Amino acid sequence: MIDSLLLVGGGIATGLFGSLLGLGGGILIVPLLTLGFGMPLLAAVGVSLICVIVTSGASAAVFLERRVANLRLGMTLELFTACGALVGGLVAFLLPETVLELLFAALLVYVAATMARGLRGSSDDSPTDATAESAGTGSDAGFVARLSGPGYRVRNVGLGAVGSVGAGVASALLGIGGGLVKVPVMHVLMGVPLRVATATSNLMIGITASASAIVYLLRGGIDPYAATPTAIGVFLGASVGSRVVHRIDLRVLRGLFVAILLYTAWRMLQRAIA
Amino acid sequence: MTASTPGGLDLSATGAGAAPAGPRDPEAHDLERSIGRLLTIGTYLSIALLVVGLALMLASGIGPLSGGPAFDIRRLADDLAALRPAGFVWLGLLAVVATPAARVAVSLVGFARRGESAMVLVAALVLVVIVASVALAKALEG
Repeated sequence: MIDSLLLVGGGIATGLFGSLLGLGGGILIVPLLTLGFGMPLLAAVGVSLICVIVTSGASAAVFLERRVANLRLGMTLELFTACGALVGGLVAFLLPETVLELLFAALLVYVAATMARGLRGSSDDSPTDATAESAGTGSDAGFVARLSGPGYRVRNVGLGAVGSVGAGVASALLGIGGGLVKVPVMHVLMGVPLRVATATSNLMIGITASASAIVYLLRGGIDPYAATPTAIGVFLGASVGSRVVHRIDLRVLRGLFVAILLYTAWRMLQRAIA
Repeated sequence: MTASTPGGLDLSATGAGAAPAGPRDPEAHDLERSIGRLLTIGTYLSIALLVVGLALMLASGIGPLSGGPAFDIRRLADDLAALRPAGFVWLGLLAVVATPAARVAVSLVGFARRGESAMVLVAALVLVVIVASVALAKALEG
C-alpha cells in the first residue's frame, strides 16, 4: 500500500520534471526505482520505458494541438530512433548490470553538465548558424523542405539520422526518452528552433521507447506491478507539466535539476562500485 | 508564440519552391489534431486500465515490489474475466506500448490521403521496425 503510493508520488514528481525539461523523465525514474526502491537496473529500465511512452503520449497531444511539434520531421527521425532502440533493447539483456550502472552515471553527469552550461547561456529560441544551408538535389530538396517548418529549414538530415540511431540505443539501454540526444541534434545540427525540437523529440519518444519496450515486455523485463503505480504517477505529473511549461521560468528549475542529477550520479556510481 | 498566428507568416520559402506544404496548412493541422486526439485517447485508456489494475492490486494486498507475473497472452482473457489485477495491468501496459504504433498507422493513412508518398514510406518503415521488434523478441524468447 505505502510502496504503491510512494511510487505514484515519485512518478508524479518525475513526470512533472520530465515534461517541463523535455527529457521524458526516464533520467529520474530509473534512479527513483533503483536507488529509492532497490530494484535491479534492468527492471527499472523496463518500467521507465513504459513511463516515458506515457509521458510522450500525454504531452505530445498538447504540443500537436498547439502546432509546436513537427510531425514530418519527427516521423522521419523516429524511424532511426526505433532502429536504434530495437538493437539497444536486444543488447541490454547481454550487458552486465555494472556496465549499465556506469553508463547511467555517465549519462547523469553529461546531462548535468549540459544543463549547467545552458544556465549560463541565453535561452535563445532561434536556430544557430542559419546561414549554413545545405541544399540537396531536386527531390531531396523537396523532401527536406517538407520536413522544414515556418521560419526554419532543416539541414544535415543525414547527421540527424545518425544521431537519432544513437538516441534510440541510449533510450533502450537506459530507459530514457533520449531527448537529451535528440534535442541538441535537431536544434544545433539541424537548425530546428529549440521549442520545436523539444516538442518533436517528445512526440518521437513514444515509438522509440515502444520498439524497446516490446523487447523488454516479451523477454520478461517489465514488472507489471511496479510499472503500474509509477506510470500512473508519471502520467499525472506529465499532464500538469505540459500545461504549465510555458508559464515557468525554466532556469530556476534547471539549476535545481543540475544539483539533483549530480547527487544521483554519485549514488549510482557508488552502487556500480559496490 | 508564433504558433498562435496561423497563416500569419511563412518564412519557410527558402528556395525549394516545390513544397508548399509546411506543417502550417489546415489539412496538415487536421492530421495533427486527429493524431493528437488518438494519443490522448490511447493514453487515457491505458491509464484507466492501469488505475483499475492498481485498485485491484491494493484490494488484493499486492505490493508493487513483490515481483509481478510474466506476460502470457493466453492467460490475459481469464485474468480479466476473473478481475485479477494482472489482467488489467497487462492490458493497460499493452495499450501503452500499442498507442504510438497506432499513431504511426493513422499518420500513414493521413499522409496516403494527401498523396505524400515519401511520408507514407517513412511511416510504413517505422511500422516494419515495430513488427521486427516483436518478431525478434519472440524468436529470442524460446
